[in-house]
Amino acid sequence: MALARYILRRLIFVVPQLLGILMVGFFLVKLIPGDPAVLMLGPNATPESVAALRSSLGLDQSIVTQFGVYIGHVLRGDLGISWQSTRPVLDDLLERFPATLELVTLGLALALVIGVPLGIASASERGGSVRRAGDLYGLLAGAIPDFWLALVMIYLFYSVLGIAPPPLGRMDIALSNPPFVTGSMILDSLLAGDWEALHSVLSHLVLPVVTLGLINAGPILKVTQSTMLRVQASDFIRYAETCGLPRKVVRRQAIRASLPSIVTIVSVLYGFLIGGAVLVEIVFSWGGAGQYAVQAVLNADINPVLGFVVFSAVFSLVVYLLVDLAYFMLDPRTRG
Amino acid sequence: MTETAAPLLAVEDLHVSFPHPTGNAVEALRGIDLTIARGEMIGVVGESGAGKTTLARAILGMVPRPGRVTRGRATFRGEVMTELEDDARRAILGRDLSMIIPNPRGELNPVLTVGEHIGNVLRHHRGLDKTAARAAALDLLRAVAIPDPQRRLDAYPHELSGGMAQRVVIAIALACSPTLVISDDATSGLDVTVQAQILDLLKQLIRANDASAIFITRDIAVTAHFCDRIAVLYAGEIVELAAVGTFFDGPRHPYSIMLLAAFAYSAELRRHWTRPEGEEEALPPGGCSFAARCVRRKQRCLMERPALRAVPGGSAVRCHFPVGVAP
Repeated sequence: MALARYILRRLIFVVPQLLGILMVGFFLVKLIPGDPAVLMLGPNATPESVAALRSSLGLDQSIVTQFGVYIGHVLRGDLGISWQSTRPVLDDLLERFPATLELVTLGLALALVIGVPLGIASASERGGSVRRAGDLYGLLAGAIPDFWLALVMIYLFYSVLGIAPPPLGRMDIALSNPPFVTGSMILDSLLAGDWEALHSVLSHLVLPVVTLGLINAGPILKVTQSTMLRVQASDFIRYAETCGLPRKVVRRQAIRASLPSIVTIVSVLYGFLIGGAVLVEIVFSWGGAGQYAVQAVLNADINPVLGFVVFSAVFSLVVYLLVDLAYFMLDPRTRG
Repeated sequence: MTETAAPLLAVEDLHVSFPHPTGNAVEALRGIDLTIARGEMIGVVGESGAGKTTLARAILGMVPRPGRVTRGRATFRGEVMTELEDDARRAILGRDLSMIIPNPRGELNPVLTVGEHIGNVLRHHRGLDKTAARAAALDLLRAVAIPDPQRRLDAYPHELSGGMAQRVVIAIALACSPTLVISDDATSGLDVTVQAQILDLLKQLIRANDASAIFITRDIAVTAHFCDRIAVLYAGEIVELAAVGTFFDGPRHPYSIMLLAAFAYSAELRRHWTRPEGEEEALPPGGCSFAARCVRRKQRCLMERPALRAVPGGSAVRCHFPVGVAP
């Protein structure tokens, strides 16, 4: 079957792609100034103890050897130890990556719900008020920083109105976390049947998700609008018009033809937001992967940084595979 | 051609203009008058830019933006197409009045199969359900003589050859037995042999439906074989309108002769009726639109715009000094 062969071929390509990303990531991280050994031992360390730590960390070997050793560990599923948290990076990321993923996925879903219908509406009405509102929205969403919007929301809904929970993590500190199964707090509390936890999780999600949704609806709206305008002026839509097909049917054809562009922008935003939502994560003390990685970069904690690179690379490759599969479904010309 | 009842299509004094950034609107059509009787086939010939496609679109009531009809109208079976409401127009287009497009592989929706294209028209205009539409689409594909129609029904446009795509578009156009078919340069992109086959097929199907047709083309030879009358379009005006026999026996307008000469073998004939390049200077407006390229122009042609008038022999011609007519 064509589809299965296609997926298989794509999966084979994932291996060299991952290796390439890891290599670039590894050497870029090594370019960051700052000796981890010095940072770990503090300012009063003797040169001898620094040298001993460097050799035990393998830092005295050539960078190529270090990379080889690192790849060997990664292949065995070992992403090393974070010297800040003194825990295995894999464990840290398995806990934090789902937090980011849950936030970003819901945020993007909301952005789609806002951006796509607005984009379609503003493309179908030439120079009308909906079009102007869409343009204004795109402009505002592009100009307003997400962390600022987050702060405004916290001020409004937590400090003034008092209807939102405090921006301190993913659920009420007084409650105990549902047992870890998927890493998504919504799913985990559902699985545990813990309704109190679910309510707390959902109410903590509202503000950050709305923040990400409102901001990221901007690019989605713009792409939807411009694609729709282009498609509506295309030969085949004009032909559908000359065939006298009802407006509804022509519009559906135009939306269908715009879907690949929307899928593309969503996939780009998805990959970007894994690290790009970090400011929102910080504002809400989310404890996500982006926050973890930034902290690690600041402390020259190499293993978590590389671990984050591995995780987001795998995630991006999965997203792009899904995108290609979506194209495969949407456009018969790619099935050749 | 005698017209007893009201014509099927009446184009009266139709003007279409396109605004231009410099402020001078470009007049694509400048007073077209044309009627078509039931069962009649008329050829519209002219070079690119003459306004052929704009005329077709205006008749459909779909002048491309930002152009608009500034004067006159096109009336199809009593409906003023150029002023019709959107929904009323959609009910007529594709059902009673349909259009065959050039370059169909680029104009068919790439994500819809042949069966879906034909089926859409059948479902919306004839109210067929999915199964009935599919069966009717298969019959139509047989009627346009597509090889292996059962398999083509599920083919996508990019899987068709140019000739096959053209046949599909003809099937779509004829799906609802329209009374008027407009063919806009429908075969220009095809091999000559395929072109002849498709034109034969088209003529036969249109005749079988007792429909009328407008053949828009740059190839004047096509009109000789398929049409009852010929309208020669130049710079947004009809410069000659005549029955096919009359036209080919004795073309009256210098531009018609130039067009015919362009298809002739005789280089001598071409040279005789074409001004050398460089001499085609821009003339002040107000005169005959063809004066700049006319080998026979006189002082009067620069001053006064000629009207379309009947000349002995049955042609109508827009020229002060028609060829072969005593002044």
